[in-house]
Amino acid sequence: MTLIEFHNVSKQYRCHFWTPSLAVVSDLSFSVKEGKIAGFIGPNGAGKTTSLKMLMGLVRPTKGRLVLNGRDAGQPQSRKGIAFLSEQPYFYDHLTVLESITFAYQLCGLPPAGAAREIARALETVKLTDVNARKVKELSKGMQQRLNMACALLGNPFLYILDEPMSGLDPLGRTLFRTIFRDLARQGKTIFFSTHILDDIESLCDSIVVLAKGKLTYDGPIAPLLEKGFSGTDIAVRSLREEDRRSLSSMGYAVSGPFPGISSIFVPKDRQPRDVQQWLFEHGMFCESIERRNESLETLLYGDVSAGARIV
Amino acid sequence: MKTIYLIALNTFKETIRNKVLYNILFFALGIIFLSISFGEWSVFARTQVMEDFGLATMSIAGLLLAVFIGVGMLGREIAGKTVYAILSKPVYRLQFVLGKFAGLWITLSINFAIMTLVFIGSIYCEGGKPTPGLMYAVVLIFTEMTVIVAVSILFSSMTTPTLAAIFTLGFYIAGHYNDMLEFNLMQQLNPGIASTMKIIYYLLPNLEHFNIRSRVVYGLSVDPGYVAMAALYGALYAALFLSLAGLFFKQKDL
Repeated sequence: MTLIEFHNVSKQYRCHFWTPSLAVVSDLSFSVKEGKIAGFIGPNGAGKTTSLKMLMGLVRPTKGRLVLNGRDAGQPQSRKGIAFLSEQPYFYDHLTVLESITFAYQLCGLPPAGAAREIARALETVKLTDVNARKVKELSKGMQQRLNMACALLGNPFLYILDEPMSGLDPLGRTLFRTIFRDLARQGKTIFFSTHILDDIESLCDSIVVLAKGKLTYDGPIAPLLEKGFSGTDIAVRSLREEDRRSLSSMGYAVSGPFPGISSIFVPKDRQPRDVQQWLFEHGMFCESIERRNESLETLLYGDVSAGARIV
Repeated sequence: MKTIYLIALNTFKETIRNKVLYNILFFALGIIFLSISFGEWSVFARTQVMEDFGLATMSIAGLLLAVFIGVGMLGREIAGKTVYAILSKPVYRLQFVLGKFAGLWITLSINFAIMTLVFIGSIYCEGGKPTPGLMYAVVLIFTEMTVIVAVSILFSSMTTPTLAAIFTLGFYIAGHYNDMLEFNLMQQLNPGIASTMKIIYYLLPNLEHFNIRSRVVYGLSVDPGYVAMAALYGALYAALFLSLAGLFFKQKDL
């Protein structure tokens, strides 16, 4: 089942009535299926937060249609059983941690009977205990973000829409959140999250949606994208003689070095590394190491976004 | 209904932890209490002066509460984005507006109850006795402030807190001078201006309907039927303004 659908969605903002409107999101179409972890990425100002806000009914699209769990995303009932975590933790200054999470629990329309147990479970999951009586404004940003996550976990939602969930977290907090996401994925939950941390994308996501200047530049699984970044293989070899170097160059391989005794032979992706290995073996040499040379995900995703062109 | 109650309760908690509320309340209570000594200025009508002063103080304090707390409440929610925590849940925007209004209204009611008790107490201190007319006047001031709170929420749903506060004060002043508008309308020869004035006259509530202070202070009788009708008039206007606030807020990008 498809839980999130964007159908030709556009959003334009106008700062003042006399200024021309500015397109923040243009003709965006993609979907996220149930049980998947999908990453939503793009540079600052790409339109990720606006898209997520439109999905949660906080901002109205200028054009197009958004469907959340089979219903129009503008309808509050479409948000039943769905957790949203905003980029910044927004809590009421006058409330304590316990009051804030209880308020969130009650607004979800969850049964009052299990409130104390469910709240304790959520706080325990994010490792935020012994702070119940403290005012939220007294907590650090990282702790507030954990509380934000605890609120999102209430009632065991089936879909999590998270806007830069790792923002403001220390390395321990990040590890904790990754563990939580993996646990949720194991339980078959759907997660759609925006992030700038590409490690999270590589380690967590089944698929990604890439946005640049409000336009979709990639929508699909992450593996083909990584494959696209593969440019060839580096073979390191010790004691490469000058005539061997010339022979390899004449065969079309780039040889660099030697760096302290080690030379590197680059085998382009359209040729087989084992041919070079065979050649080296025949000439009495052995490989020291073989490594795939990949363009970083960062270069792949953000390298060409200024043009707003599709990546694949 | 439960959602409105939850939002109202949260708003109420927020307002009672707001220092501005206590500043206005203590200031008002101080003035009401001091009105005992103001009564000394009058030789023959000490109680009348006290009553007039007390009712005027309640009216001004109510207005300050409605404007400063009412306007700030919704504006702060939008500017501080705490509204995300509520509206990202299955909550209708109208429920949010009504919850905010209900929370403010409860705060206003409690403040009015405290001010009324101190007011009655000060009248007893002077050897007087509160008349039913005096209570009617308090009820109508409270009704007027209910309308003002609804208006402050309407303006906050449309514009920035500063402008909303200015518009709400402007509305209060214009509402009290609606009778003047009717008088000027009859004198107006330019049909364009006359029709514009007519529209404003019919759109704006006449807040003077809630002002029976002079009648009460001078001991003239007040018809309970009039009070009921004026209260209904205020309630209908408050409902209209809240509906409009709900409509504007529904269109608003947060």
